[in-house]
Amino acid sequence: MRIDRRQFLKAGAAGLALGGLPGCAGVAGSTPKARVAVVGGGFGGATTARYIRMLDPAIEVVLIEPNAAFVSCPISNMVLGGFRTMADITTPYAGLARHGVKVVQDTATAIDLEKKQVRLARGAPVVFDRVVVSPGIDFMWEALPSMGSADAQSRVLHAWKAGPQTAMLRRQLEAMPDGGVFVMTIPLAPYRCPPGPYERACQVAAYFKAAKPRSKILLLDENGDVTSKGPLFKKAWSELYAGMIEYRPNSKAIDIDLAASTVKLEFGDQKGDVLNVLPPMKAGNVAAPFITANRRWCEVDWITFESKAARGVHILGDSLQIAPAMPKSATMANGHGKVCAAAIVSLLNGQAPNPSPTLINTCYSMVSDKLAIHVASVHKYDLNDRTFKAVPGAGGVSPAMNEAEGGYTMNWARNIWADTLA
Amino acid sequence: MRYRLAGLLSGLAFVALPGAFAQQAAPPPPAFAPANTTQEGARAMASTCAACHGTHGKAAPGAAVAGLAGRPAGETIQAMKDFREGKRPATLMHQIAKGFSEPEVAAMAEYFARQQ
Repeated sequence: MRIDRRQFLKAGAAGLALGGLPGCAGVAGSTPKARVAVVGGGFGGATTARYIRMLDPAIEVVLIEPNAAFVSCPISNMVLGGFRTMADITTPYAGLARHGVKVVQDTATAIDLEKKQVRLARGAPVVFDRVVVSPGIDFMWEALPSMGSADAQSRVLHAWKAGPQTAMLRRQLEAMPDGGVFVMTIPLAPYRCPPGPYERACQVAAYFKAAKPRSKILLLDENGDVTSKGPLFKKAWSELYAGMIEYRPNSKAIDIDLAASTVKLEFGDQKGDVLNVLPPMKAGNVAAPFITANRRWCEVDWITFESKAARGVHILGDSLQIAPAMPKSATMANGHGKVCAAAIVSLLNGQAPNPSPTLINTCYSMVSDKLAIHVASVHKYDLNDRTFKAVPGAGGVSPAMNEAEGGYTMNWARNIWADTLA
Repeated sequence: MRYRLAGLLSGLAFVALPGAFAQQAAPPPPAFAPANTTQEGARAMASTCAACHGTHGKAAPGAAVAGLAGRPAGETIQAMKDFREGKRPATLMHQIAKGFSEPEVAAMAEYFARQQ
């Protein structure tokens, strides 16, 4: 399987190097009607690539993604808890290849709008008719001056892009002595996955409770309160992990003292045995030219997800300036991908895009190895404000943490991974 | 200064006309685009179910939630109605079901019934 993919990737890269991908028509024996380049193989980009090919196999799709396989942020906190493995949250890109998506393992360095091509770190540029930019988030390291170096970033982890850092943070937790303190900093919203930090606290607490019960968890949150499912998380903390988790709102991290293993706050410092720092976030670097909101996020036309800064460039996922009540979540990015794919297919076929797009958000958090809570919402397009709004009266949260939703969490994961990548 | 004045005025209005104030303060109701219940619109709406129920309503192997593909439209319509009215036990579907009108549900149900 692995060899097959590598060979396929090599063949794909060779085709690109020749220029026009002459032998890679979307349908055998016919010329593709257009080529869409997709930058980023996360929930947003991979879903878009897959759905464009399902809706119109005559459109050629090239997905550019630096990682060899997809590693899911959702469920990655359970790897920290010790209840799931890295293999459990990893899916190969081979499924997309079966839909005829050309997966190029490389890093997109820039979008050249004049030449209509994506420039790559290693391979030849990918020419496109339309481009989808879905790079997720990058970090604003300047907010924590001592964290600017690669060395600092390899010692104090974010583990907020699932992958090697997830496994590294798990090892740091395993190496921590019983009685140690795990300190996590949370930036001001908006950031990727609003409930993620609080779920992580639960997962680390579940591990400590079983393996190192004298240990403590300190959450330093720049926000004034828990940003998602607040009452449910607080109940889980007090009932499942009594005395273990201390939550400190309005606590803004301003730097890290690596030598002293200390988070420097606006008011006072906090030492920890394992530090887990979530810096403020912004649109992924390759989307930087399309940032139009607060120097951090990209704005789009919500009917087509076309950038407000550049025509023919579609942006989605966590890089977006969110609509009201729209979280930066996996389900949202997956939904963006489907709306965007359908709009691109319509536009490339000379048709009007769906004027009435719909999104659902379903977001589960595992508060232990078995118990979960959810928040859900339905979003529709508002004609006056030209944005998505949550449908009043729909959506809500779990009445209480429960085991049934623990099962539904993995059900959701399996289905959304398949809907994105299979 | 401006803020203080505005606060004072709205405070007075609140005392004098609580009903009118509440109406004024409430955001205008959303003006959602009319439902698209064409086959394409139904397909797009139904695709929002896929994160939990699988692409085209075909649940992934080992999934805990029933797939929707091939289910008679009447069954799906009744289930969504029961979810909406709280007559069918649910953890989350009662909240999602309230986000869709009857014509929207019918269009999605027909779409799923067509998936084999």
